[in-house]
Amino acid sequence: MTRKSVLGVFVPLLAILHFLLHVGLEIEGAAPDFLTLAVLLGARVSGMGLAGALGFLFGILEDAFSVLAFGANTLALTVVGILGARTRDLFVGDSLRFFFVYFFGGKLVRDVMYWIVAGETVREPFVAGVLVDGGLGALYVAALGTLMVFLLGGTRPIR
Amino acid sequence: MASYTDPPEEGRGRRDLTVALVFLFFAAVALYLPDPLQSQVAEGLRRSVLRPFVATQVALAQARLRAENALTLQAQLDSLASVVAAQASLVEENRRLREHLDLDDRSPGTFIHANLSRPRTTGSESMFLLDVGSNDGIRSGDPVLMRNGGIGLVGVIREVTPDAAIGIDWSHPDFSASAMTADGEVFGFVEPRRGDFRGGDRLLLSAIPYYEPLEAGTLITTTGQGGVFPRGIPIGEVLELHEDFGEYTSEYWLKPVVETGSATHVLVVRADPSVEQLMQLLEGGEEDAPAEGGGGP
Repeated sequence: MTRKSVLGVFVPLLAILHFLLHVGLEIEGAAPDFLTLAVLLGARVSGMGLAGALGFLFGILEDAFSVLAFGANTLALTVVGILGARTRDLFVGDSLRFFFVYFFGGKLVRDVMYWIVAGETVREPFVAGVLVDGGLGALYVAALGTLMVFLLGGTRPIR
Repeated sequence: MASYTDPPEEGRGRRDLTVALVFLFFAAVALYLPDPLQSQVAEGLRRSVLRPFVATQVALAQARLRAENALTLQAQLDSLASVVAAQASLVEENRRLREHLDLDDRSPGTFIHANLSRPRTTGSESMFLLDVGSNDGIRSGDPVLMRNGGIGLVGVIREVTPDAAIGIDWSHPDFSASAMTADGEVFGFVEPRRGDFRGGDRLLLSAIPYYEPLEAGTLITTTGQGGVFPRGIPIGEVLELHEDFGEYTSEYWLKPVVETGSATHVLVVRADPSVEQLMQLLEGGEEDAPAEGGGGP
């Protein structure tokens, strides 16, 4: 798997899959948050600038369906992208265990950011919205993301 | 073990940081854009990049409609025909009485059929998309009713484009409606309250006089006051007393007639022109700002 293939193929594919499942087919909880997974995957092979841009782009697309909290997804995913890219300097992780924790933490950070930014009238109670729903969603994304990295040979070096 | 990621290049850090900060700034700006500008950006994205996904959703909704059991539809049609036939004499009686009292014809408004779909993305809870728009006569503030099973209030139109509309359902924090018991004896106000979990949202009927206790199961409908919702649209049934404010008012939990997730095919009610004219006169010629519904333009 090359850096080009991650950014040029897998990240756009995940974004398309996200909108196809959530918007096109109206699947809610059963479909994971592929958009966050795409940002986290892209962030792992790019710098903070590109990762921030990815987060911004995907976030504003998600916000196109948000009436009261427009911008909350944009800010949350931009922050996740930047932080995800920053992990490259902090953790030279290449094990599947690292990726599981990385995806889990990334999705949880995204949900916490959204919860903070979305405002009191829109968000669910913290326990339900972040700890329960967010925790389960993070597990789902982490499991799928790790599986994806494994299938794509993620522990081999990027060229 | 070899690293999954490529090593960061020398000198690229500062440029990356600058670009990242620029996008962070833009993201913060998006959050604080004025509402009309946010709507324009969102609409632009829905009509361009996201159009294939929205079109898929609309196509599926139409396919679901076509797949409905013809026998069930025939049974519903027969039931409606019998109701209409039974009420024909009442309509005539009503017309004559109105003539005697010198009253104008009461326009019931126009009902427009629409397919309702939900994006199911983060932040889109409590909102829905309709496949009809201003080309079909839909306007911001029009009420949306559900026609499958019984008629019940779903929500209100919030934004309209030529061929689509966005609405908010009763679980949206902006929703509110003037309400009364079905017999028109007790009046109050209905607002949504968040549940502990998604799907646990409920309606709260407030401002009920303390000396008018309501029984569980009492049907609550719209009053028609405010010019947004037509009179007599079922909203919900009384579940239980929520709070009693001593010698003043009481609040009751309602079980909504329409579960927000179940609505797929709906009716949009185009506002009664006579009510609109009256509202304009009362508000000194201003076109909008309805007193209820939360869906004003």
